Amino acid sequence: MDESTIICKCEEINLAEIESAIQSGAHTFDDIKRITRCGMGPCQAKICSSLVREIISQSLEVSLSEIGLPRMRMPLKPTRIAALAGKETSSSVVSVFAESAPKEGDES
Amino acid sequence: MTKQYDVAVIGSGVIGSSIAYHLSESRQKEILVIDQAYPLSGTSGSTQAWVWVHNKTPSWYGELSMLSAELYPFLERKIGDVEYKRTGGIAPFFDESDRQSALRLAEQQAEVGIEIEVLSREQVLEMEPALSPDIVGATYSKIDGNVNPFRLVELYIRAAKKNDVQFSFYNPVIDIRKHKGMFEVTTRKGVFITKQLVLAAGPWSRSVGKFLGLDIPVKQVRGQVLVTEPLAPLIKHTIGGMRQADNGEVLIGYSKEEVGYDRRTTLDIIQDTAKMAVDYLPDLAKANIVRCFAGIRVMPNDGHPIIGPIPTIENAYIAVMHSGITLSPLVGTVMTELFEYRETSIDLEKLRLDRFKEFKISV
Repeated sequence: MDESTIICKCEEINLAEIESAIQSGAHTFDDIKRITRCGMGPCQAKICSSLVREIISQSLEVSLSEIGLPRMRMPLKPTRIAALAGKETSSSVVSVFAESAPKEGDES
Repeated sequence: MTKQYDVAVIGSGVIGSSIAYHLSESRQKEILVIDQAYPLSGTSGSTQAWVWVHNKTPSWYGELSMLSAELYPFLERKIGDVEYKRTGGIAPFFDESDRQSALRLAEQQAEVGIEIEVLSREQVLEMEPALSPDIVGATYSKIDGNVNPFRLVELYIRAAKKNDVQFSFYNPVIDIRKHKGMFEVTTRKGVFITKQLVLAAGPWSRSVGKFLGLDIPVKQVRGQVLVTEPLAPLIKHTIGGMRQADNGEVLIGYSKEEVGYDRRTTLDIIQDTAKMAVDYLPDLAKANIVRCFAGIRVMPNDGHPIIGPIPTIENAYIAVMHSGITLSPLVGTVMTELFEYRETSIDLEKLRLDRFKEFKISV
């Protein structure tokens, strides 16, 4: 890794930007995130969190186990607003009874 | 020997950082800012960051917000690009009977110079074609806008550091005493001595106030916000309830819950917010939400800012309010006037801490 290595692919944040945030006093993944946007993209830190925690651990000389995880939030993976609003119509959930019960006119 | 400061500010959110920066402009004072964690980890970092004016009532409160919004372009020239955009603000209503109160609001706010237009459905849709045709009308003002809260707080701090302000992060205050006219601020990392003290602790004001024997009448009000994936330009204005950021993501939410410091997001509010999103902007139904977040607003018990000297303690000051993002340029400016000239360009009488009866009881 060198200074220009991309750490957060979603937001294109490189190592130098992460290190500069740590130098200005950021101690946690979320501190760094708010200063740099690292981890704010579509993957929501799933890809970069381990890398960033390693960088924090090395820069501050503390063990990796003491570096907290990023705060995960709903909906964990991108989810359509219509689904959250209960307005998605393409439901595949069906009634067990309706699926098997003979309808009028069905041959027995 | 312990270093002595002229001013110590407790809290490095948008208000504390703004006060420290504005005070440092004249480079006359040794200034220290202490924060229990890292800037943006609290209220100032969990907001949609509207710079919102036109619905702020009573009108004197609207006027304060307007004066502050007017300072933003000048602030940006001094501290750098905080992505302030005066987009104009639209607050839609869905019931024709609301038009009368909209007109009353416009009339009241005009008295202090806030220009509000009450729009018809056609006018609203012409300005924002993506809004729902179910909207009956809206109040609109050119003065509203939004800002990037992360850039704002970071650049206040950078500019203050350039003016030699000292910052101490991850350093909770654990006691404050007054000794021979000086404040001794005990923190986890040591004791700081200061002549003047500013409490800018936002939702934590109550616990910091207790060190000085004060009962600071504020409560915590949670708000939850949904963030979409980056979208093509959808809305140009700041809409009461949502805005689109420079990178395309739309921030949606306007909820109020009194649940203390609990910053969890909850499915019921997320679902109601998603419904609001679709009610306002039907196209949003197809957009993806990538994250929800929650922040804790600080709300003085009567809803209005508390700014100025603490009446019972010489050299102690307080600045705590909802809408710190909107008001921070003004608060930094008037607090600096207070420190440097002992008088302010706007009247702080209505903002005094001792207007609360709770406060009078405690002293």
